[in-house]
Parts: sequence; structure tokens; C-alpha cells
Amino acid sequence: MAKLVLPAGLLVLLLLGGPMLLMLRYSFNVFDPLFLMKQAFTFENYARAVADPYYQKILTTTILVALACTALTTLLAYGPAYWLARMESRWKSKLTILTMFPLLVGGVVRSAGYLALLSTDGLVNAALRGAGIIAEPLQLLYTPGAVIFATVGIVLPYMILTLASVIESIPRQVEEAAANLGARPGRSFFRVLMPLSLPGVLAGATLVFILCMNAYATPLLLGGPQFQMMAPAVYEQFARASNWPFGAALAFLLLIVTVILTSLGSSVIARRYRAG
Amino acid sequence: MTRLSRRAFLASATAASAAGLLCTPAIAQSSDIVVGTWGGTFGDLLKANVDEAILEPAGWSILQEVSGPVPRRTKLITERMQRRGSMDAALLADFDMHAAAKVGALEELGEETVPGYGNILPFLRKSHSVPLIYSAHAIVYRKDLIPTPPASVAELWNPAYKGRIGLSDFLYTSNMAYAAIANGGTLSDFEGAETGVQAWRELDAKLLPSTEAVGQALASGDIWLTVISAARGYSWRKGGIDLGWVIPEEGAFPAVYEAAVPKNARNAEGGMAYMSALLDPAAQAAFAAKMGYLPTVSNGSIPPELEAEIGFTEAERNRLWQPDLDFIMENQAAMLDAWNRILKG
Amino acid sequence: MKSLELVNIRKDYGGAVAVAGMSMQIARGELVSLLGPSGCGKTTTLRMVAGFVAPSAGSVLIDGRDVTRLAPYERDTALVFQSYALFPHMTVAQNVGFGLEMRKVGRAEREAQSLEALRRVRLEHLADRYPRQLSGGQQQRVALARGLVLNPAVFLLDEPLSNLDAKLRGEVRSEIRALQQSLELTTLMVTHDQEEALTMSDRLVLMEGGRVRQAGTAQDLYERPADAFVAEFVGRSNVIEGRAEGGGFRTACGTLLPAAAAGAAGGSFYAIRPEKIVLAREDAGEGVGGALREILYLGAQTEYTVMLGQTPVTVIAATPGPDDALAGLRTGDPVRLSWPGASARLLGA
Repeated sequence: MAKLVLPAGLLVLLLLGGPMLLMLRYSFNVFDPLFLMKQAFTFENYARAVADPYYQKILTTTILVALACTALTTLLAYGPAYWLARMESRWKSKLTILTMFPLLVGGVVRSAGYLALLSTDGLVNAALRGAGIIAEPLQLLYTPGAVIFATVGIVLPYMILTLASVIESIPRQVEEAAANLGARPGRSFFRVLMPLSLPGVLAGATLVFILCMNAYATPLLLGGPQFQMMAPAVYEQFARASNWPFGAALAFLLLIVTVILTSLGSSVIARRYRAG
Repeated sequence: MTRLSRRAFLASATAASAAGLLCTPAIAQSSDIVVGTWGGTFGDLLKANVDEAILEPAGWSILQEVSGPVPRRTKLITERMQRRGSMDAALLADFDMHAAAKVGALEELGEETVPGYGNILPFLRKSHSVPLIYSAHAIVYRKDLIPTPPASVAELWNPAYKGRIGLSDFLYTSNMAYAAIANGGTLSDFEGAETGVQAWRELDAKLLPSTEAVGQALASGDIWLTVISAARGYSWRKGGIDLGWVIPEEGAFPAVYEAAVPKNARNAEGGMAYMSALLDPAAQAAFAAKMGYLPTVSNGSIPPELEAEIGFTEAERNRLWQPDLDFIMENQAAMLDAWNRILKG
Repeated sequence: MKSLELVNIRKDYGGAVAVAGMSMQIARGELVSLLGPSGCGKTTTLRMVAGFVAPSAGSVLIDGRDVTRLAPYERDTALVFQSYALFPHMTVAQNVGFGLEMRKVGRAEREAQSLEALRRVRLEHLADRYPRQLSGGQQQRVALARGLVLNPAVFLLDEPLSNLDAKLRGEVRSEIRALQQSLELTTLMVTHDQEEALTMSDRLVLMEGGRVRQAGTAQDLYERPADAFVAEFVGRSNVIEGRAEGGGFRTACGTLLPAAAAGAAGGSFYAIRPEKIVLAREDAGEGVGGALREILYLGAQTEYTVMLGQTPVTVIAATPGPDDALAGLRTGDPVRLSWPGASARLLGA
């Protein structure tokens, strides 16, 4: 077995780690307008990424949007996840597959769908105007709200599926016991279901947060040119400015911030609930 | 195991990752010509009027490798150290092509190697590339909303158009050239350019993420005027928008699209044949009719009524700026950075 | 006054009937067992009392109040789940205090009462442990304490012994019974184990197919089973098919068995408990003759299977001593079986 696992493991490590190491190396190079970059070992790119108010603002926007999306996704996913987890009918497996269905279509295509939904002559505006609620079309597209709305829509299935599998593992009798001992649904949720599903909430929230921190297509297509998040900014450095060293440094800054925030978040939330 | 020097490793890794990141290299045989180009309407026109009309009957088969311009330029630059490159012909805007020529990635072209080279209009002639079409990034405006043609670049900062000035995010180079001329007087005036962009921001200029978005904004009246190629203005007018365009009295940024053969092309002969085909008057006429771009050769002719629609007068042509491509190359990243900071910060 | 009263409750799932209209009453301090094979409707009945299942018809009364439409958390019942259903993220003390917390009892009072309840189940020393750190038996006692602490109007036990090993079972059985009696808890217990039901209950309700087959004390069900199903389910019985004839009962294969009277005139079943039968050697002269087919040594007792013609009859008797007449019996030996006619019962199906 070990003979088979080892080469496969090394291959995976190489495929995953190789590009990362290469990017890490690039991030210490110096940009050159003619030859792309010059070999060097400098922290200048990082220093600039951290100190520049322009990129500080982009990073802050990214974190705020990711936090908002994570919170909103958790709130929205809990109900459907619970419903799915506790469902007993033969529809359960079909609905689970249906939940996964949006994942079969890439984020770009789904973002394009939201584009059609939210534009001034899109479905939402057409419906609101048709219903006589508004006279002039609302500017829905190219707003932070549009980005958050669409991102939540895109990451929701991940959250629902993660939560559902954890809720499924909580015996129904535990909830019945709470009700039997006099807990109304609300209290039962906060005292029993919520703490017990916390691992699922944390796993789902971490996954969603990482996805949101790295969102590319949605902010680009729905945020408009003035709305800046990190992943498009990284791409811009690579594809438009040809500044690979700085792009790599931005990418690693995003990675580091994401890792710090996710580990910080999980430990804080976990501790708070253990204490309660 | 032989020890690769770190430099050599990084160099090859750069090229490898560039190729991997941007596109998969096509494997070509001797009759295959791999062409790095834009897709969409542009790619279709090439296919119909160059590939199928001229080269395929001559026994060549063409593989289009579609990508964005910056990845293509990056590829030309990073692949130059390899024995064999992934493209036999590459198409780029003049300032991007200039960078590739500067690093020595391109084959020298001339009348012996490229039949038809001698017909190239003198002001577009270059040693390492051939121009396939040209136009100018002019001021394109809604005729019904701006009755007096905006004859000066200063009109782009006219407070009367507050909130109605459109800026294509992609054309930051041209937009900043306009800003430099309007606020400093020379194309190489970076500070003047920044002042102009800042002034745009204060006038609530609308930044538009794509060329299509510019067209939509013009159509809806969200914007009244913008800087974009006269050729685009022509094709949108054909689409029913009441548009006009002006080559301002101070001049305009030329929009030249060029083609070149990489030095390490697998099929240099095919690449040269492709250059020649691009200069074919019939192919150039097709671009004119469909996209509104002008022929780059003296033997090219387009119908007089089309010429009246899209052509430049002698005076207009003489007013086109002669950008300092070295300056653009050196400062492009800085220009993008300034553009982003001012308009998106 | 009755603590718990079920009035003709019924539960249908689609077309399937789980409980087909049953009525019962439990007096204060009484322990009643719902006994029956799986699928008989006993668990559904228990869940209707707790409020997890809404009856299709009928009503549930607790202390005379109709609670049929009340939610589980509005009913004064405490259910000890078969799986215990302890809260894994709470300590033993927090588990026991949960019901009090829901009733908004102050922290100090809650802790005192929880500890008292834990003392009753002898677990006060484990108050700060988490459920996963306890053995199965300890977990069950926590589950009991969690219910006891609320002093509920009705205490509900769902198969309380099924997850314990055989050795613990007897111990816990008497412990639960002792607690229930000392606290005078009105208790409804569900079990499929007749021994559990017989030893712990004041009264039993035997269910089958969603209906009550017989209700009564352990003696009622054991000594005077209403039908063949009850006779076979409660304790062990030899149930033999045939018909009443004169003063006796003629089996399907022709043997005449003694009977007290043609009590159940239409009865086509004859039931006799294995321990009521006296086994003797052939030469005893009295009784019905048969052949010994199997001898099972059980220690203090021995179980014999005797063929009366084609009918196997089980006999249980004290294991014979070395000098006993029955010592040295072997399979295949001819034997005689006798019993007083009054010990047997003629039953309907």
C-alpha cells in the first residue's frame, strides 16, 4: 500500500505545492516593464501591498464583503439545511442532488445569470415595474449589494450541504428530549441544536469565507469597475499590469489574511460556545 | 542529477508557468500556422478573409490560439529564451508589439520575406511587424445630445457633460494620452495625465468595464461622449445609435493593430505567409466593411461611400499623434496603477 | 383521580393504522407497562402521550386536563428515551438542570435540585462529567435524574433496559421500580420484554396490531390470559389446537386432555403452562402418555419436550436429584404427563 500511496502523495504535493512555491519565489522578485521581472530577494512588494492605502481599502472591502456573505449565508442556509437533514421522504436524496445542482455550473455562468437578473432592464426591475411598484428602474447592478447578493447565492449550496450533514448526525431524540423537558423551539435551537451543529457551522462558514475572500467573477461582473476586491486585483496585476512579483505578493497577502481570519474566527466562536 | 542553476530553473519555470497559466501550446506541423489572436468578431473576420480566403487554398492550415493581449505579449517575452515558441504569428496593438520587438522576440520583416510589405503606408511601416488595420481612438459622441461636435480634447472635461463622460477601462492608455495632451501638452506628461484623470473623477465620469458596456451606455444615454476607436463608432452607428466622431484639433491616439513572427516560431515560413496575407487588399477591405477599421496599405481600396463614412481626411491623418512607444512601454504599469488609484480608489 | 387517561386514541399513517383506538387510565403513583411485539403501536401510544405524535382521533388527559392539542414542551411529562438522548455538550449537572432552566428556576435552586436528583440515582460524584465519559448504565441514570428532577405528572420510559447488558438489567430494574415507588411517580413504560413488564409493573397493557389484547395485573395476564396470543406472549405456554369435548379437550391429533369445565365453550385452543405439568415415568400409570424428545438442563430446572402424538409439549420441573425417580431419564423414553384440569385454560384465538 505504502508503495502506491507515496508516489501519488508526492505527485499531489508537487501539483499543489509546486505552483505555490513558484509564486512565493516570484513575490520576492522585482518588476521590470520590459522583461517582466528581475531576480531579486526583496520584501518590497509585500511592504507596498501592506502599506498602500489603495490596497488596504481593497483588502478591507474584501474582508467586509466576505464577512457579510458568510453571516448572511449561515443565516439563510440553516433553515433549508435543517429541513433537508430531518426530511424522511423519498424526496430527500433528490433534493440533496438538486441542492448540488448549481455547483455543476461555474461561478462565472451563475454571475452572468445574476447580471441578467439585476440589470436595469433585467428580470427584477421588469417585475417591479410591471407590478407598478417603481416607475424608474433601480440601479441594482454595480453595487456592493449586488455582489453580496450574488455571492451568497453562489456559496449557499456549500453551506446548506455542510450544515445538513452535521445536523443529520445530531440524533432527533436529543431535540425531542429538549422539547420534552420544556424547551420551546427557540430555546431548543439556541441551547441544543446550535451548539451541537457548531462544528458544521464552523466548517461551512470557513469554507464559505474562503470562497468569498477569493471571489473573482462575481465582484468583477456585478460590482462594476469601481468596486474592488482582492482576487480581481491580483488578476489585474498578472494579466493587465504584467507585474507578476507584485501580483504574487498580493496573492500571498490574501492567503495569509484568509488563514489568520479563519483560524481566529473558529477558535473564538468555539471558545465562546464551550464556555456557554 | 545535474544541478540546474537557480537562474536557469527560474527562467524556464517562468516560461513554463506562463504557457501553463495562459494557454496550452498547440503542436504544429509544417503546414500548420499557429496564430495568437483575439477571438470574437475579430477572430471570425481573420478566419473568413485571411485563413479561408487566402492561406488555406495555398495549402496552409491555420490554428487560432485565442487569448487576451497581455498574456499574449507576456508569452512572446517569456518564450523568447526557448528554442521553439508556441506561436508562428502573433497579433497585438502597436504599443504591446513594441515591447516584444524591444526584447528581441520578433523576426525582422522586409520586402524579401513578406510580399506586399512595400505597400504599407509609410507612417505605419515598422521593421519587426506589419500593421493589419488602423483607426484612431477618437471622441465618439451622441449627435442628438451634443449638437455641436466636440472639436477639442478639452470637451472631454466640459462641466456641461458632468456625469455623462464615459471612460473605457480597457483604453486607459489612450484615455491617459488624451489627459496628458489636455493638461500638459505632450504625450509623455505623466503628471498632466494624472491631473486629467483626477478631473474626470470630479466630473463623475463613468468608468465602463468593457467595450460592450461603452456601447450600451451610449445607447441608453447614460453617457454622451467617450474616447473609443472611430471604427467602433461606425459599427455602433450601423447598429442604430445616433453617433458621430471627431478627430480633435489637438489630434487623436492612433489605434494600430499589428502582426509579427516570433524569432523562435516553429513555422517561420508560414508566419511570413500570414503577414503577407494580412496585407492583402481584399482582407483589409473586409475589416473596413465589417468593423470600420482602415486599410494600412497603399493598394488597399474601399468603396467611396464607405470611405466617406470611416475614412480620415489628409488633415485628420496628419493630426494623429505619434506616441512614444518606449515611454508607454516603460510606464504602462505605472499608468494602470495611477488610473486605478484615481478612478477606483 | 386519574393521572393519565387515554380516551379512544387513534393514529393512522396514510392508510396504515398504528393505533386503532385505545383507552386506558393510570392512577397516581401507578406503573403501567405497554407490552407487545414490535409494531404493535406501543411506542406510537407513548409518543402521543409525550406530544410528539398528534392523535388522529381521541384525547389524552393528564391530571384531568385535555392536553391532546398541546405541544410537547407544554405538557408535564418526562420521557426517558431508549437512547437516553443526553445533551452531549452539557455536563451531567447541566443535563439534569436543563428542564429546570427551561422553567426559569434560578441557578442556585437549580443546582441544588439537580444535585438532589443525582443523589437519588447515586451519581452526585459525576456531576461535572460529560455524558461521553460515562458508562451506559450511568448515562441511563442521568436520563432518569433529568426526568425525576422535574417531578412530572407522568413519567414515560421507552424500553429503559434494552441498551444495558444482562447483568446490569436486573439491578437497574429494581432500582427504577424502587425510585418510582418511593417518589410515587405515575409511570407509563413501553417494553417488548415480558419479564421486564411482569416484574416492574402494577398493571400491564398487552397490545397487538394497534389494539389492546388484554389489560390487567401480572397475575391476571399470566394466570388468566384472555386468548392464545396473550398466553403465548406472557410467560411460556403450551398452546394446543383442538376442540372441547365432554369434560376435556380433544387435540387435533386425537389425544384427550383434562379440563376443568367447558369454560370457554367455543375455545379452540388449550393452554397449559410448562411448570404446571407433572412429568412421571411410564409406569406411573396416570396421565397422558408420550415420548421424551429433548432434555434441556438449565441448572436448578430442567426443560423437557414431550411428544403427545404429533404435539410437542414443554414441561419445566426442578432438576431431579440422584435418588429421584426421574433421574436417568433419556430421550426416547416413554413418559406420562399429568396436571389438574383447573390449571389448563380453553381459549379463543
